[in-house]
Amino acid sequence: MSTNIRTKLLRKEPFMETDKLLILGVYDNPDKTYAVTKKLIAGGYKVYDVYSPFAIHGIDRVMGIKRTRLSVAAFGFGLTGIASALTFMIYASYFDWQVNVGGKPSLHIPTYIPITFELGILFTALGMVACFFIVNRMFWGKNADIMDLRVTDDLFVVAVDVKKGKGDQRALNQLLIDNGAIEVRERIKEV
Amino acid sequence: MEHVEVQIKEEKYQITEGNKKWAFGLMIVGLILAVIGYFTYHPHIEGLSEHDLHHLSMKRLLSNLLVNGYFFFIISICAVAFIAISQLANAGWYVAIRRIPEAMSEYTLIGGPILLLIIILGLPVLYHWAHDGIMTEGSSNFDEILASKSWYLNKSFFYVRLILFMSFWIFSAFLIRKFSRNEDQIGGLTSFNKTYALSAAFTVIFGFTFSMFSWDVMMSIDAHWYSTIFSVYNFATGWVSALTIMSLFTFYLRGKGYLNIVTDEHQHDLGKFMFAFSVFWTYMWVAQFLLIWYANIPEEVAYYKERLFGSYKFYFYFVVCINFLIPFFFFMSRDNKRSRTVGVFVGACLLIGHWMDVYLMVMPGAMNLATDPSDAYPAGIIKVPAQGFGMMEIGFACLFAGLFLWMTLKALTKANLYPTKHPYVMESALHDVGI
Repeated sequence: MSTNIRTKLLRKEPFMETDKLLILGVYDNPDKTYAVTKKLIAGGYKVYDVYSPFAIHGIDRVMGIKRTRLSVAAFGFGLTGIASALTFMIYASYFDWQVNVGGKPSLHIPTYIPITFELGILFTALGMVACFFIVNRMFWGKNADIMDLRVTDDLFVVAVDVKKGKGDQRALNQLLIDNGAIEVRERIKEV
Repeated sequence: MEHVEVQIKEEKYQITEGNKKWAFGLMIVGLILAVIGYFTYHPHIEGLSEHDLHHLSMKRLLSNLLVNGYFFFIISICAVAFIAISQLANAGWYVAIRRIPEAMSEYTLIGGPILLLIIILGLPVLYHWAHDGIMTEGSSNFDEILASKSWYLNKSFFYVRLILFMSFWIFSAFLIRKFSRNEDQIGGLTSFNKTYALSAAFTVIFGFTFSMFSWDVMMSIDAHWYSTIFSVYNFATGWVSALTIMSLFTFYLRGKGYLNIVTDEHQHDLGKFMFAFSVFWTYMWVAQFLLIWYANIPEEVAYYKERLFGSYKFYFYFVVCINFLIPFFFFMSRDNKRSRTVGVFVGACLLIGHWMDVYLMVMPGAMNLATDPSDAYPAGIIKVPAQGFGMMEIGFACLFAGLFLWMTLKALTKANLYPTKHPYVMESALHDVGI
């Protein structure tokens, strides 16, 4: 858990304008989590995120998460890899220094295919990992911002952003509890 | 589960009039075309005797039979392999479409004996190594290289292998179908566990036997030539075609309103499989071609010479384009994998392409005429240029396609369209690849 938030809560520091106020509903069952997420969205609340130890099928659609653009990025990285491999090999083995290997032609694309293929994969893989880290703002030394440590084990957390969407906290608490929450908590998330 | 709105229903497929018309229409039209093609085929090649030319039409007939017999047989056997591998991997998603590969595997019952018959008829005609006297020292057409392979390439061992392998596969397919259909009656985990054990045995044995099977049936046509990746390459051909046919059947059945638990998610996964294994096929294709091209060893290069520079040039490039470029570019995007139109288009292209691939494996070697080795023909082979793509090719392809279609549709009626009591049926119904 991020130490900043804990100290902030203990010292009762004032909220910053940019801080998010999240209400967490803690559940012990994926189906309850799914059902309450659906109800929250239908009720006009802004679901910040749902945390789960494993994938709950269909919840991404319910939450209205947009489709990832990682595949588009991957295609771009792949093309970069292919282009750089071909450029380098054509330059090296045809323009710069021709070597006679068993009388084979110097400029022959099929011979370049294995390396083109490998470099395409290498660029795609590394590029996608880099992209993933950048998009998720992950870097060395960053503390994992876990809503509740128990979501890494057996519990599920639905986080509702009450500054956005419907802000009726009393009704929200009731909704979360009525749908089987074993615990409802409040937490501040710095952005 | 609480948020689930799917219903597991017992669906039975009813064969429609349209199905009958299509299946039997294909068979009849195919047979007529093939017969017309056979009788109107009068090859004219300079330097060949009348007897040789007559022999050529018989060769073309049998090669076409072999192409189709082999192509549809490996599809149906790869459908069994698909079930076995999915079962071993404890896959859940495929359960909703499992009855389609099961139905396709029923073709082995008739396709296996047909292929065996074709090979028995074709052995002295198509396979150079099976000619009389070719392995006996002192005879006029004695071939030293082939004689050194006689411990493996001799008729009795060849038939023993073939019959042993094919009966094992057909029997396994029969058992897998039987367990699965029993499951609909009794439920429980008995059938699942039995299928699991059978799949484990089948997958291991299939890996080895399919290799030898492809050497025997396909590679030994060019008996001087060998490629160590050939069996993987053949497996890729059969596997992609089997996946394609499964996908096409799924589209068809869903379009008819069957398979209520199958969604675009399953179609998407089949599409991913088709995409991935098209690339795998190309990988194998390149691996085989590139090494032979680079090494430039005469007896290996001979195989590619007639394909790459000879009269089969067009087919050679056509096969790569249709089997790699079309699925690669059309199936790369997620939306296309879920689209019916694109799916059917790519599926049709892949089937044509892989059929053509088998055609290209058989034809150049099988159409060559055997002769006594001399200065003019040191290998004892008279090269025959490509005889074109005519009515015989289309006819036999239609005939076998109709037969395959009919066997599969008939098998679909024999059980529920998806296994209602399979332990993973709910998991499959809820299958979701996410956004």
